Amino acid sequence: MAKGDQDPGGAGTTRVETEIPRNWIIARLDDLVNWARRGSLWPMPFGTACCAIEMMATAASKYDMARYGMERMGYTPRQADVMLVAGRVAYKMAPVMRRIWDQMPQPKWCLSMGACASTGGVFDTYTMVQGIDTIVPVDVYVPGCPPRPEQLLYGLLMIQEKIRGESFKDPRPRAEGPEDVAKPQLSPEDVELVASPFGNSTFQNRVSGLESSSPILRPGDRKE
Amino acid sequence: MSSTTTSDNIDKGAGPVAPGERQDVAQLKTKFGPAIRSIELDAADEPVVYIAPDRNTEILQYLRDEQGYDMLRDVTGLDWGGGRPIQVVYELWASERRLPLRVKAEVPPSNPRLQTAFGIWHAANWLEREAYDMFGVKFDGHPDLRRILMPENYEEGYPLRKDFPLRGRFTRAEQTRRALARDLEDIYSLEELAVASRETRTAPRGLGVTAEIPTDVPDLEAKHMILNIGPQHPATHGVLRLVVELDGETIVKCTPHIGYLHTGFEKLSEYRTWNQVIPLTDRMDYLAPMIYNIGYALGVEKLLGLEVTPRCKVIRVICMELNRIFSHLIWIGTTAIDIGAFTPFLYTFEERERIYNLHEAYTGARMTTSVSRIGGMMADVPPGWLDAVRYFIETFPNTLDEVERLLSQNAIWIGRTQGVGVMGAAEATNAGLCGPNLRASGVPYDVRKDNPYLEYETYDFDVPIGEYGDVYDRYLVRMEEMRQSVRIIEQALDRVPDGPINVKDDRVILPPKSRVMNSIDGMIAHFKLVMEGLKVPAGETWYSVESSKGELGFYLVSDGGPKPVRCRYRGPSFMNMSNLPALVKGELVADIIAVNASIDIVLGEIDR
Repeated sequence: MAKGDQDPGGAGTTRVETEIPRNWIIARLDDLVNWARRGSLWPMPFGTACCAIEMMATAASKYDMARYGMERMGYTPRQADVMLVAGRVAYKMAPVMRRIWDQMPQPKWCLSMGACASTGGVFDTYTMVQGIDTIVPVDVYVPGCPPRPEQLLYGLLMIQEKIRGESFKDPRPRAEGPEDVAKPQLSPEDVELVASPFGNSTFQNRVSGLESSSPILRPGDRKE
Repeated sequence: MSSTTTSDNIDKGAGPVAPGERQDVAQLKTKFGPAIRSIELDAADEPVVYIAPDRNTEILQYLRDEQGYDMLRDVTGLDWGGGRPIQVVYELWASERRLPLRVKAEVPPSNPRLQTAFGIWHAANWLEREAYDMFGVKFDGHPDLRRILMPENYEEGYPLRKDFPLRGRFTRAEQTRRALARDLEDIYSLEELAVASRETRTAPRGLGVTAEIPTDVPDLEAKHMILNIGPQHPATHGVLRLVVELDGETIVKCTPHIGYLHTGFEKLSEYRTWNQVIPLTDRMDYLAPMIYNIGYALGVEKLLGLEVTPRCKVIRVICMELNRIFSHLIWIGTTAIDIGAFTPFLYTFEERERIYNLHEAYTGARMTTSVSRIGGMMADVPPGWLDAVRYFIETFPNTLDEVERLLSQNAIWIGRTQGVGVMGAAEATNAGLCGPNLRASGVPYDVRKDNPYLEYETYDFDVPIGEYGDVYDRYLVRMEEMRQSVRIIEQALDRVPDGPINVKDDRVILPPKSRVMNSIDGMIAHFKLVMEGLKVPAGETWYSVESSKGELGFYLVSDGGPKPVRCRYRGPSFMNMSNLPALVKGELVADIIAVNASIDIVLGEIDR
């Protein structure tokens, strides 16, 4: 709106507006805060394997996730808002991931990219974390092996959508204390529940489908 | 100023000698007598020599010095379970005569001990550590025998032994608890801690009661410092951790710690049928997935004694060379970023996107292609795909020229790369450096020339060889290799024959659906292949292909069943990575990033 005294509408009609400086905006505080948080999500790329290459493709010129406010890849957890866990996470890497999550300041979000990060994927082995949600809280899971860059972008947009509904007065999503540092996200019973073999994974043994076997056989048990 | 020379003197006369009449094996038998316990032939009629475990270093020394086996390609273990002895497998290569040899020593599983081969080939350093980690074989005299892939305080046992369960001995809850309860200081070695905490000379908390700081470490009076890089660091190309001891800015010692991406591929492969392993292989080297897919299929076909169709051979060559370009492109992009040039990354990723599209048109996946099947490919190439490849290789060299114009004469690039991370030819051969890095050091070893597969000997291409063995030479070699790959693809496109892509063998390849639905024999073949899996005759073999990163070896063992007994992947990045300490010693701390980038690692394959 132009200045009131230049308004051709006539004297007296716009006197009040001249009292208000031009750079005011009236909004709900939640909307304002969420708008600011949404528009400048700085990712912490925790890339380990194949998914990290697709994450690089998302950051490169063709897909360019900087368009959505992720201009800066925050390679330090201290200056990042959303942790992108892209790729498989081994138990050897688990404390590192948890420490990075603990180091990130609030508000923070976590995106689990790909089958391995979300569930362990095909790698139901002695060394793999069966889903990073046993270790850190996850906001968005992106399926795929690896997900396409469009999928990753959509996952990030879903995080933005989630932020839109948050209230900064609500303490529950941000509850975090020193006693939580380096603790598993789930209780032991829940870890067992989400990480136990299911579906095809229960048939991991060394005999073929025509021979009946108890669930897990050692190779020495096989017919000679 | 170094330069890349192309060399045609790779031809060292006759090709591989016909197996079965090997002079060197006979000489070995006469010289060592009873220490050579037996000599067998493997599935491809190559000799396997069983030696007495207490005389292994003597025999290996003789093989290197007198018989010319100058390369140690692999040291690994093989466990048959049931209390049978653990076999330690040495895979050798004589580069002058172009001959392979496999030497095995059998040790009891209760107390597996051997002398180290580190004094003979430095390449044995990490390979023996891995055999120790996975099988528990103790190598006496090894300078640094620690666990390499698993955490150092891992308590569940030796994962690749047959009595070790696929999912580990502890419950998932316990594994998670232990992983998170680990004190991060546990992951420093005692020696590093001695430098860091020399004032108190006590072990930091969490190390366990048995740990003591060695007292014979000289008091360094705060001259040295320990710098930790990784495991989460953008310049480590994944999850690599480097602990560097510095004197000022000069590197006194660099210790890579790997295993942060250890996935258990080799264990998992033993629980999959032969064809089900293929999707695992492209998740190992996701930068050049088709090379892994096809290399594995070639290995199993060698075990089966199966020859693929002429069309399949040419299509496989196109796929492999396309992926060499694919991998070198990301190498040049990320290495340039590490050294401070961002633009080449954007240029090369544009070209990579075009290869992604080619992958997608053929396989449906951008990166995890799983393109091969044992006995052929997943399908014939779609219509127009070969034309798309031709268009790509016609236009792609323009980008290569642009990148070269940005880098080759760039003063910063030259200053950061020339004379940095040098390794000479003899040392590189002995230490197991491989691929473009080895050739940059001046060794003309390329599996495509020295032990050709897929009829590579009929293609006309040069092997670029460096002069100085520094980072700049590795850059030049890779740039030239991309141009040579373009040459190979051009020739392959001109000769793609018509005909079937898969072998006509119902025991190997699934019959077409029309036959499955309409004939009883097709139905039976389909049922047996799906339910039982492919039956591979008992035996073992070694297959090498030239991956984009070096010699990629597959050591496959079958007992005649539907699933492998052992799938060993000898990763070239693993060997290159083990040479990083030697390459960076005495350089400045900033050069670690340049050297580490230049050897082209992919952590998925180092850690497997």
